[in-house]
Amino acid sequence: MISCRALTRRFGDFTAVDALTLDVPKGSICAFLGANGAGKSTTVKMLTGLLRPTSGAATVCGLDVSGDAAALKRRIGVLPESLGLFDDLSVEEHLNLTADIYGLPKAEAQTRIEQLLRALGLKDGRATFARDCSHGMRKKTSLAMALLPNPDVLFLDEPFEAIDPVTSNVMHEILVKAAQRGVTIFLTSHILSTVERMADQFVMIRKGRLVLNAFAEDLPRSIEELYFELAEPPMAEDLAWLGQERS
Amino acid sequence: MAGARAVLAALAKVTRRDRKSIFSFSANNISYTAVALLFMSDPGALIFFGIIVALILFFPLTADPLRKIPPDRLLLWPLTGRQHWALRAASIWLNPVVWLLLALFVWKRVALDLWALMAVLFTLGFVAPWRYFSGRGLAARRLPRFPTHLNQLLRKNVRELVATLDFYAALVLAVAAAGFRIAGRLPADAFLPLTMLVMLLISTYALSLFGLDGEGAFTRYRLLPIPGWQILAAKDAIFLLISVLLTALLKPLAGFAAALMALTVGHSSSVSRHGDERRWRFQTSHSFGVSVTQMVLMVVAGGATAGWSALAAVPCVAIYLLSTRRSGRMLETRIAESVG
Repeated sequence: MISCRALTRRFGDFTAVDALTLDVPKGSICAFLGANGAGKSTTVKMLTGLLRPTSGAATVCGLDVSGDAAALKRRIGVLPESLGLFDDLSVEEHLNLTADIYGLPKAEAQTRIEQLLRALGLKDGRATFARDCSHGMRKKTSLAMALLPNPDVLFLDEPFEAIDPVTSNVMHEILVKAAQRGVTIFLTSHILSTVERMADQFVMIRKGRLVLNAFAEDLPRSIEELYFELAEPPMAEDLAWLGQERS
Repeated sequence: MAGARAVLAALAKVTRRDRKSIFSFSANNISYTAVALLFMSDPGALIFFGIIVALILFFPLTADPLRKIPPDRLLLWPLTGRQHWALRAASIWLNPVVWLLLALFVWKRVALDLWALMAVLFTLGFVAPWRYFSGRGLAARRLPRFPTHLNQLLRKNVRELVATLDFYAALVLAVAAAGFRIAGRLPADAFLPLTMLVMLLISTYALSLFGLDGEGAFTRYRLLPIPGWQILAAKDAIFLLISVLLTALLKPLAGFAAALMALTVGHSSSVSRHGDERRWRFQTSHSFGVSVTQMVLMVVAGGATAGWSALAAVPCVAIYLLSTRRSGRMLETRIAESVG
């Protein structure tokens, strides 16, 4: 469902993503892991058509990510890093906007919107403007927008960060059930325990390069151990001055 | 005061880096109009327009370099209340537009009472209620449903436009002019100048059409499966509608032509540079050069339509349509590249 071949993105002399090659089958939950600045978000942006690759190729739902942008957008749902909300629209208006733009039938849209508002705990804040929402509410609104059109592939950039534990569990259930019904999910996260519970494929990058691509059953050790080994060794600096009496 | 001095030094450095040329300092079309009128007018004649425009919009609302520091960061620094006040007072003078206006006031020997009024307004700037006015009441007000798939975008764009001080400045002038017109006390010769003034007052918004959308909104536009020209059209429709309404009792066709030119220049600047604008501030992040180009084209278009022939609006429409098509395409590319 997602396929990358030597996908590369450079910003001047800096190579953010370096010859990434991977395949994610339909109905999988793929956890895309790496340290801050490793190239995760850049990869997501390329796969969702937000950023053109410098070289290489990628297809999502069989569509070239550099090709017909509108056709690609109609098949995918995205929770972007920046959340992509308008300050002057309420939570519910964001969902109505999505329904209108994707041409969902009115009754069907209303049913889905009510269900999403209930499931994600947004019902009480449905009339709140995005600029007045907490970060968690904004993230849930953006996630609801991604889910509403019933996409074939979901790209979720750090969906569990800044989310309360109850909502995190609800999201976990929603995503697992969606994958069982054939939705492919590609997510980035730093919350390793959560992704380890739900993902069936793990891809890790370091400085833009692929360092791990394995299915859950093939992992030799826990994902946390592998992360510290492959993606980012723990820092050992001792800040001895911290906690000392100020002069 | 060491803390405030350190912040001011950092601010001066940032401001200096922003100002590589005369075209890079910014205020607002209202400030530029005020400067132009000061050059052209007898100071005594400034009472009507000057009070509404130049003075009310004076310090610190037109020039607020302090905006370069994220408000949350500023609050976190260990500065006392007095240091905050000192910083606010000093930072205003980092904007060359303030010095320019001040020099013009001295040069034109503005009367003492205007200086007094300016001092009062300067003081008011520190306690301006709109600093704390988020516009929630206006934003929450029920808006009609537009019969199009762009309905929510249109509603959002109405809320954005009425959250700018420029709109209210234009509204004050338009309502005053309409009142005089209805009372039969407005000479016909004044229709066009007043129309152009109303349009100049509101035109800054067109320079930065996406500036009030919010952080990350550009990404959302890119994710929506609609072409760029529709995103621009949703912005423009509201601006054109408000422009025609504000100038309805003056010279609406001239107002319409000026609005088309404001948008034509605005398309390019909005798409090529995504300025992050602040609500309730008479300032734009766009440059002096772009503002002047926009204002000149607006005056030419409005003047030609009202003074020469209504047919002058036709090329304005054509240029506007071309700009929408071109900038719509640019918008799609621009959004794609801007998020890297």
